[in-house]
Amino acid sequence: MAEEKGADFEPNIIAFTCTWCGYPSANLAGVNKIEYPPNVKIIRVMCSGSVEPGVIMDAFEHGAHGVIVIGCLMDNCHYVSGNVKTQERIDALKELFDILGLDSKRLRTEWINASERTKFAESVNEFVEEVRALGPIPMKKKAKLKPRTQDETKEEVKQIIEDTGAFDCVECGKCTTVCPIASFDPDFAPRTIVLRAMEGIVEDIATDRDIWTCIACEQCNVMCPYKVDYSGFIRGMREEAVRHGSAPLCSQGGVIHSTQRIMANTDLKQQRLDWVKEDMEVTDKGEVFYFVGCLPHYDAIFKDMEELKLRDIAESAVRIMNKAGVVPVVSNEEKCCGHDLMWTGNESDFEKLMDHNVELIKKSGAKKVVFTCPECYRTFNMDYQDLIDDLGFEMVHIADYVKDLIDSGKLKAEDFASAQYKFTYHDSCRLGRHSGIYDSPRALAEVFSGGNYLEMERTRDKAVCCGVSAWTNCNAQTKRMQIDRLMEAKKAGADRMLMFCPKCQIHFKCAVQNEIPVDRSEVDVGIEDFTVAMARLLALMEEPKEEPIGDSE
Amino acid sequence: MEESRHDIDTKKKQVAVYLCGCKGAISDHVDLESIAKELKGDPDILTVSIHEALCSREGQDFLKEEYSAKGIERVAVAACSPNIQGLIVSRSLEEQGLNRYLFEQVNIREQCAWSHADKSEATEKAKRLTKGAIARAKELVPLEDIVVPILPSTLVIGGGVTGMQAALDIASQGFKVHLVERSDELGGRAYKLSMTFPTHNCGICCMQYCKECVFTPKIEDVRQNENIEVMLESEVVDITGGFGNRQVKVTTPDGEKEFDVGTIIVATGSKTFNPSRIPELRYENPDVITAVELEQLIVEHREKKGWLKRPSDGKVPKTINFIQCVGSRDKVKGNLHCSLVCCTYAIGQAREIKKILPDAEVYIHYIDLRGPYRGFEEFYDQAKEEGVQFVRGRVSEVVEDRGKLFVRAVDTDSGTLLNIPSDIVVLAVGQEPADGSDKISKMLHIQTDIDQFMKDINPMFPSEFRRGVYVAGTAQGPKGIRYSIEDAKAAAASAVELMKKGETPFPRIVAYVDEERCRGCGRCEEACEYGAIRLEEDPEKMVKISRVDEIVCEGCGACATVCCNKAITINNFKREQVEAQIRAILEEVDADG
Repeated sequence: MAEEKGADFEPNIIAFTCTWCGYPSANLAGVNKIEYPPNVKIIRVMCSGSVEPGVIMDAFEHGAHGVIVIGCLMDNCHYVSGNVKTQERIDALKELFDILGLDSKRLRTEWINASERTKFAESVNEFVEEVRALGPIPMKKKAKLKPRTQDETKEEVKQIIEDTGAFDCVECGKCTTVCPIASFDPDFAPRTIVLRAMEGIVEDIATDRDIWTCIACEQCNVMCPYKVDYSGFIRGMREEAVRHGSAPLCSQGGVIHSTQRIMANTDLKQQRLDWVKEDMEVTDKGEVFYFVGCLPHYDAIFKDMEELKLRDIAESAVRIMNKAGVVPVVSNEEKCCGHDLMWTGNESDFEKLMDHNVELIKKSGAKKVVFTCPECYRTFNMDYQDLIDDLGFEMVHIADYVKDLIDSGKLKAEDFASAQYKFTYHDSCRLGRHSGIYDSPRALAEVFSGGNYLEMERTRDKAVCCGVSAWTNCNAQTKRMQIDRLMEAKKAGADRMLMFCPKCQIHFKCAVQNEIPVDRSEVDVGIEDFTVAMARLLALMEEPKEEPIGDSE
Repeated sequence: MEESRHDIDTKKKQVAVYLCGCKGAISDHVDLESIAKELKGDPDILTVSIHEALCSREGQDFLKEEYSAKGIERVAVAACSPNIQGLIVSRSLEEQGLNRYLFEQVNIREQCAWSHADKSEATEKAKRLTKGAIARAKELVPLEDIVVPILPSTLVIGGGVTGMQAALDIASQGFKVHLVERSDELGGRAYKLSMTFPTHNCGICCMQYCKECVFTPKIEDVRQNENIEVMLESEVVDITGGFGNRQVKVTTPDGEKEFDVGTIIVATGSKTFNPSRIPELRYENPDVITAVELEQLIVEHREKKGWLKRPSDGKVPKTINFIQCVGSRDKVKGNLHCSLVCCTYAIGQAREIKKILPDAEVYIHYIDLRGPYRGFEEFYDQAKEEGVQFVRGRVSEVVEDRGKLFVRAVDTDSGTLLNIPSDIVVLAVGQEPADGSDKISKMLHIQTDIDQFMKDINPMFPSEFRRGVYVAGTAQGPKGIRYSIEDAKAAAASAVELMKKGETPFPRIVAYVDEERCRGCGRCEEACEYGAIRLEEDPEKMVKISRVDEIVCEGCGACATVCCNKAITINNFKREQVEAQIRAILEEVDADG
């Protein structure tokens, strides 16, 4: 790396300035010939409140070493409250930066009046020095994808069709009948996407919305009489689309994908173990590795979401293991499993993450890796396994794992209190249809149900998806699907809906957080993680202070 | 793949690049030639030229020729601040047919040439900023202006001199005016003054209620004008709507009134500083009075003769001390700003006292005498001739000793400490924004400045404070009567101009909803401070969809940031446009490293 920490290192600083105070203050500094370091490059925006965390992350991914947002004085925003919201947003982003090891000091806000030219110069000066002291961010160079010609793409698509068995498609349309998106969006049909590809129509691949609208929930895979791997087909098509310059405009403005790409391309000192408390037993080397996933990241990214505390999942898992006498390895060096990048056509970063994680686990000496997140589990169990023949360790999902602990007597069924609420279980697609784990969660539910367990109408392989996959599209159909699922839980008579997938939890909570198209009483169901619920019934975790919405007590 | 078809059609068009030397202001500090050289050959660039001054006539002609000769569609300019001369440059191209939304300008003068001494560093930065502008220009989307209809009526808030003057000027052009005043009379503070500068008598506004002036023509002018609806003891409680059509709610003694207006003039005025905030000035002593209270004594004297007496015991005062800058130019207990009018009025009052009581000793304690008005010097000269004594130095405190008041000060000219016995101490209190003006500024989303007065969008140029909203008089900052009236006339003229047109084009830098992405969660509606977004039922989608009222929208982007699916964006500040600019600025670094 040519960049070096210290006096020779010239940091790249992006300064977002609002039109009303930040930008004019910089102009005035210039008019008054006040010098400040040329490292600072000014981007004018209307209001500091329009600076999206996703855009900030994008700047860091493209070589920024620091970002400063400069807006009007507090309580004096040209747009009433833009700066107040920006401060909250940047504070949350700082948390994410610290978890990633990017260092929150690389983010700064400054609230100054249009006339305060000296303050502008002083604050950017100070910031440049601060970032200079922090040094560069060693980032692996992005692999430049060779652009594909139409003919090459045609060949590739042919290969995808072959690999996924799409040639066998007899156009029966069963996939479209069961597709949850097609049920709300009459213009969307899985069958026609395959058909177009088979006819060699690939000119629009870069702008085709349909291949990104699919949520890869695999309803179609399950129902297809000819076993076409529809989701695999979509994944392949996405990779091709990316090679033609298509960039999925993701929900949350791409913050999540940026986070994952930064993990793939840096080796920063992360801070991802804040959730480990003193009375919990964890270790660096051992038989069992607990793979946490991105739970701490999501808590920071979704800071504004009420009642979201995904760290509890990790804490619950470790406490349950501890109770059974297991001391799991947890690692600060763990990285994202790569699921979302792989499903958005970014194979190269996915492989970087995979290599890192596999090596990390091998080094820990673990023979068994336990997952709470269904996506991490699927990714290791299927995708890592596909690419690396022998991982040298076994993968097990917490549902199977806890069931085994009970079966082998390490945990006692009697230790579980009975649930005092009526509950149902939502099969997440990555755990159910993708991995075939349907029975263990139900067996566990039986242990503590106290007769309060209820099944929804569409369950097991027919379960409706939470509506979003890999943070790509999240539109009206998605929302409708989410609301539908919650109504189904309510209709079944449940007070709470349990699930393993942290993303399902986020998506369902998000769906009901603001406006909903139905009466609130129809979706009045508590949304809770299964692992956390178990820990609570084992008296290892506290019940939430406020009873979840819809609890009958 | 996420852009509309329209975006895709207009993408990948080449950009014409112009670098401005600003007659040496830029070209002496930034090596424009080397930037141009590097840019040439980029397939995305149609042409690169350097001109010594794009905003000059020659520069404008040059651009016009370029436009017609080269088939230009998108332009990136690296020059001065786009807020100032930038308009001249972009307009000269617009006149030829360039879509104004396909123009991008970066500031390499203030941000490079003038702030970085090292020429190679300034050049390097200018090059990156220019590349950023080109990248952004490539992503821009052509748009049409919004045409905003303007209702032919005005709300004037405040019935002081400013409000009355504005109301009269607007009404005389045939527009309906609703004049809202919270007290029970028109005229404001000026109405209570005994005299005004520079005539040192009635005359400038002719509306004193003193006996010498029986006509009070202005107040009657306003009351008699059939285009003006005067609402006394009334307060504006709510204003909604947007540019050209705002809904106003007023509480009046006859109940709540609602009406719609096209323009608004804010003339809420100022109040005087409360001297109790500076305890060492002993305002609690009855003989320590403010200049406003002295005005009342003078008016009473005029009515009853021989009434200029010491408030505590009615004795004729022998020594009077004026203390200047009470609450002004005082960062700790008052305000930093100078109130501009106090020197003038204190001299006027001192001269009036000398006229009534020629034997009285009158001192004015000042830091600097500030009266940047025509006639002030003569006024001051006259006062000295009449025996008013000017002492340069700030009064440290007013002391009570055995029933007597003493003013402790220093004469910084002679270096002597003074301890002057005083019968009356007059505090020349400064101006602060009127009570409740913060409520009005919140309602209208007008920003306030460090001094809490309402803030001009351009401090160098009287202009709108919000679209169709003007602030005049002391609501904008301390000023004298004449200047308040000037303000009123300027604001009225702007409002009239707007209403006469009946409609006006406005930049479409507002929120836009991609309905395919919208999921009807309502977060944008919640985030919008202006009520510009409404969720509407969409039977086809079975969820609600956000719809934007483009006229109410201010284009701040609060909605775009909270949208979890990025369905709502601000035209020409779209994520991909901003990102392209940043990436281009940073990518360069990569190539170098």
